[in-house]
Amino acid sequence: MSMTDGPTPLSSAKAAQSAADREGLTTAPGASIAGRRGKKPGSLGQRWNALSRQQQWCFLIIVVVLAYLLPVINPPIITTEPGNNFGLACFDMARFALIAIGLNVVIGYAGLLDLGYVAFFAVGAYVSAMLTSPDSAFLKIPYLWTIPVAMAVTMFFGVILGIPTLRLRGDYLAIVTLGFGEIVRILATIIPAMKGQVGFQSVGHPPGTAADGNPIFTNSNGVPWYWLILTVIIIVLLLVGNLERSRVGRAWVAIREDEDAAEIMGVPTFKYKVWAFAIGASIGGLSGALFSGQVGFISNQRFDVYTSILFVAAVVLGGAGNKVGAIVGGALVSYIPLRFTAIAEYKYLIFGILLVVIMIFRSQGLFPARQKLLAYGRDAVKWMFKRDDGEHGTGAKRTTGTAQEKGAQA
Amino acid sequence: MTLLELDNVSVHYGRIQAIKDMSFTVEEGEIVSLIGANGAGKTTTMKTISGLLNPSAGSIRFAGKDITKMKAHIRVVQGISQAPEGRGVFPGMTVLENLDMGAFGRKDRSGMATDIARVFALFPRLEERQKQLGGTMSGGEQQMLAIGRALMSNPKLLLLDEPSMGLAPQFIRQIFKIITEINSQGTTVLLVEQNANQALARAHRAFVLETGEITHSGTGKELLANPAIKEAYLGVG
Ligand SMILES: Nc1ncnc2c1ncn2[C@@H]1O[C@H](COP(=O)(O)OP(=O)(O)O)[C@@H](O)[C@H]1O
Ligand SMILES: [Mg+2]
Repeated sequence: MSMTDGPTPLSSAKAAQSAADREGLTTAPGASIAGRRGKKPGSLGQRWNALSRQQQWCFLIIVVVLAYLLPVINPPIITTEPGNNFGLACFDMARFALIAIGLNVVIGYAGLLDLGYVAFFAVGAYVSAMLTSPDSAFLKIPYLWTIPVAMAVTMFFGVILGIPTLRLRGDYLAIVTLGFGEIVRILATIIPAMKGQVGFQSVGHPPGTAADGNPIFTNSNGVPWYWLILTVIIIVLLLVGNLERSRVGRAWVAIREDEDAAEIMGVPTFKYKVWAFAIGASIGGLSGALFSGQVGFISNQRFDVYTSILFVAAVVLGGAGNKVGAIVGGALVSYIPLRFTAIAEYKYLIFGILLVVIMIFRSQGLFPARQKLLAYGRDAVKWMFKRDDGEHGTGAKRTTGTAQEKGAQA
Repeated sequence: MTLLELDNVSVHYGRIQAIKDMSFTVEEGEIVSLIGANGAGKTTTMKTISGLLNPSAGSIRFAGKDITKMKAHIRVVQGISQAPEGRGVFPGMTVLENLDMGAFGRKDRSGMATDIARVFALFPRLEERQKQLGGTMSGGEQQMLAIGRALMSNPKLLLLDEPSMGLAPQFIRQIFKIITEINSQGTTVLLVEQNANQALARAHRAFVLETGEITHSGTGKELLANPAIKEAYLGVG
């Protein structure tokens, strides 16, 4: 890793000096960027980057443990009771968070404004319901198996819908996707097998019985479902985090920032957009399948354009492009009407106002995306200068050496 | 050897024809300038060569291959690289990340290390500002970054769309000096300009584009001396 060990094939002292300078820059990218963005001292991102690796892990573990314990602690003031059962509320918040993580891949990373995300959520919910409910004429499989099936089916739908529409840009894409949600709802109404308003009762749930002989996963107890979806969220976050730091993540950021420029940098933009759409779709399907199991009843009444807009609001509120932001945004959008039941009726009004306020005072959302990009910056620095895989010594030395030689010629 | 050849290329935006039966060649090692007024079709020509636009008629050959139907991102791998009009720097990425994007299609790390060294040697400012966000740089610095980024794919042909746009005079001279240097290092350059003075002075050959058609051609010096062109494109100053 370090560029200081090993012999230094530099031709001049000046070059060595320049290598040292560059090392100063490269060893602490977070710090130097933090310094440059000095106008907002102590922002969350900076503080996070200032922590050591161990401290970051400790902090994460505490957060995860607290998250698992949340419905058990049922903290006063924060709790949604007596209006709404807190276990169920936790599940709902987590469900929105998962949806926001998925939609964030589409809107936040790739910059594709998808206003019809509810379609994928609905497809996932229907897949689970139709493969487990006694009301369905389809073959039945165990509930847990419907989850990967739901993901695969929604991913397929993502590709099918993405291929014709992702040639459109910006506003046009938004308008076309707006129709997706409606299409699913209308299909659910007119296709007899989807049973319209009647819907599907007794959707399956994961196996397991408690000590008293009752099933662990029931429609009235949100806590086991919350733990299940929280675990799913952690897995999804790890996978999405890896994607974000990969070549794919870089391509998405480039597409979001300037699609034409990305294409002429050699990014197959269309392919990567379809990928973002498909991956986002499968996460939507995943949350739909979990939702379907938890509520136990699915009909065409559950999915409408408003829900779609609420999903978008969650992503934008949290800060498009930042998965921590997506989680917070998703949880908030669910939590606020559950906690403040008196105003629940006006939730669209409230989120509308909230969005306007956020756009005025914090247009990047609660958690701006740049913080996440830093990870990419670190990687870029790494491969440019450090990681030559020991082939012929480190890239940095050679880079500097050549730079100096060229500089001397010039 | 002929590196790029446009053969009777036409380009339409819907029903509007922006380029009419355009034919010209760029030889390996040359700097070729395409000059024309605002709206003459310069950007359209560049985008058609880089593959962002498809011609409605005609064909384009590059390094002996027909690339008329080839997608833009594949043309990059073939050796065509573009610094787009208005620079197209990724504003939320640092200088280094922008340069990294320029090498997106490449896998040879050692080649990339050589190229980033080349870019830093041509533009020491970029090396100093590695960590700065592209969007916060000055116009001139962004232009350097756009050219540097385009060089990161180690192109055979570098397309520059109005590199002098919006720059101060001393900066324009500097950019053109660097373009000449890039060319002397072996990269063929096709550039379009409204600002014809430097573009003609630095070019081996040049064409004048008027409403989608080539109306004059010759060496840079010939066109520079042509009174009609002087009047139309070189202005009083
Ligand atoms: N996206 C577009 N849609 C319709 N017409 C366009 C578009 N882009 C450019 N044009 C038209 O094509 C012509 C050539 O434009 P352009 O290539 O941008 O010129 P230049 O780069 O020389 O200023 C102009 O008449 C312009 O109005
Ligand atoms: Mg132009």
